[in-house]
Amino acid sequence: MDIDDFGPKEPTCRMLEANDKRAYFIVRDWNLETANSLRRVMLAEVPTLAIDTVEVIDNTSVLADEFIAHRLGLTPLIAEDVDKLVDFRDCDCEDSRCDNCSVTLRLKAKCTGNDVMKVYARDLVIESMPPSDKLGQPVITDADGLGSCIVKLRKGQAIDMRCIAKKGIAKEHAKWAPSAAIGFEYDPANKLHHLDLWYEGDDPKKEWPADEVRIDLDGGPEKTDEPFNYDAVPERFFFDVETVGGLSPDAIVNNGIKVLQQKLASVIKELTGVDEANAGLDGAQSPAMDGGFGNDGYGNDGGYTTPGYGGGNAYAGGTTPYGATPYGGAPGW
Amino acid sequence: MEGSKILRTAKLINDNPNAQKRVPYHYVSHKTAAEENLPGRFELFILDEGQQKIEVREETKVPNTTVFTFNKEDHTLGNLISQRLLKYDFITFSAYKVPHPLFATFELRVTTDGSITPKDAVVRCCKDVIQDLSKVSLSFQGEWLNQKIIEEGQRDAEVRDQGNY
Ligand SMILES: [Zn+2]
Repeated sequence: MDIDDFGPKEPTCRMLEANDKRAYFIVRDWNLETANSLRRVMLAEVPTLAIDTVEVIDNTSVLADEFIAHRLGLTPLIAEDVDKLVDFRDCDCEDSRCDNCSVTLRLKAKCTGNDVMKVYARDLVIESMPPSDKLGQPVITDADGLGSCIVKLRKGQAIDMRCIAKKGIAKEHAKWAPSAAIGFEYDPANKLHHLDLWYEGDDPKKEWPADEVRIDLDGGPEKTDEPFNYDAVPERFFFDVETVGGLSPDAIVNNGIKVLQQKLASVIKELTGVDEANAGLDGAQSPAMDGGFGNDGYGNDGGYTTPGYGGGNAYAGGTTPYGATPYGGAPGW
Repeated sequence: MEGSKILRTAKLINDNPNAQKRVPYHYVSHKTAAEENLPGRFELFILDEGQQKIEVREETKVPNTTVFTFNKEDHTLGNLISQRLLKYDFITFSAYKVPHPLFATFELRVTTDGSITPKDAVVRCCKDVIQDLSKVSLSFQGEWLNQKIIEEGQRDAEVRDQGNY
């Protein structure tokens, strides 16, 4: 039996590196548009937690209030379980800061000694009652357990700030970016000739050192004796996701996939809901939606509602993936 | 010398009457002052008042053609849907454009061969991509756990080896 009898090939992952900082993997038998959209979503649309408003109670340090507020905003906070927070724009509370939509941290320090005092991220203390223990704790990865330095104080100087951390996405501000960098590449040997290499000498190969390891993983170098295949498309993608620390690398990928799926689900909902709207329903609870994924021919592998996706994943929360409005339930997402 | 200088500065700060006089609860948001006149960047992804996510307009001059205007979306969806649609036999045209880079919107124009409406084609395309993503997600999670166990095992082995020295 020919392998093609099994229908189109399904995308599969191969992990090359997996640790607290990095997820380095290949996806085979995929397509460029979906791979690139996943990359874009992981960069800009995976929700995390960051300090958004700072209440300055005291600041006699040499840095201006705004300066410190900016530094605080960029301080990475643990964003595990951030899905348990409501989007502050949708929260009913006054001045958008309650335990449902924010985490409050206090930074309070005064230098009394003769030495310069450094105030670190570890000095941020959670004042509110976040939905989970870890959520909102400063990310600390150095051996000394300090975190990043926020201000230095000299004798007599003090700062006292109440920081309100909120859920957000990097599309609004880079402080919410879950990943420090995402490596993305296909066809490292340039077999598809998508790249036209610049060269100044005689031979571009001399000026562009080949990544032998990746080329091996991608099916070896170009075969010059074969005719060029004009129909070839990229189907193997290298992803290298490095975390800032707020989310584990696998959580960034899983949440990225989830956000993209919810985006697409909202399109389906919007388009199929239009008909429903004509029939007097406003599309919020469209029956076509519930049947959509589960029953009409997609039922076999479960897909979107598969336990591996919905049940096993702590980030899926209690909502049905379908009906859940992505990103905290902003209408129309 | 250096020490006494620091002491003097510290004393100055302690004695500085202004240091105690500041207004308590001075709010500093991460994006006011300098950006006051700019539209908030949340306008990139939060729908305006009364705005619809997708506006559907039938193209009357060309058969089986619809132009979808996606509000508060960008290339992430535009490229994904338009390129994916091209893989179906019933699609005769599919492309998207961002009319202006400052407005978070894109237009998707789809023509089919008539066997399916453009709207149903887009819906089917979205469903298929969701399926694909689920497969990637499952495969990723399995692979991640495997590789993590392997790497942790290696690290433990290294620690043991060092201990045996
Ligand atoms: Zn609230």
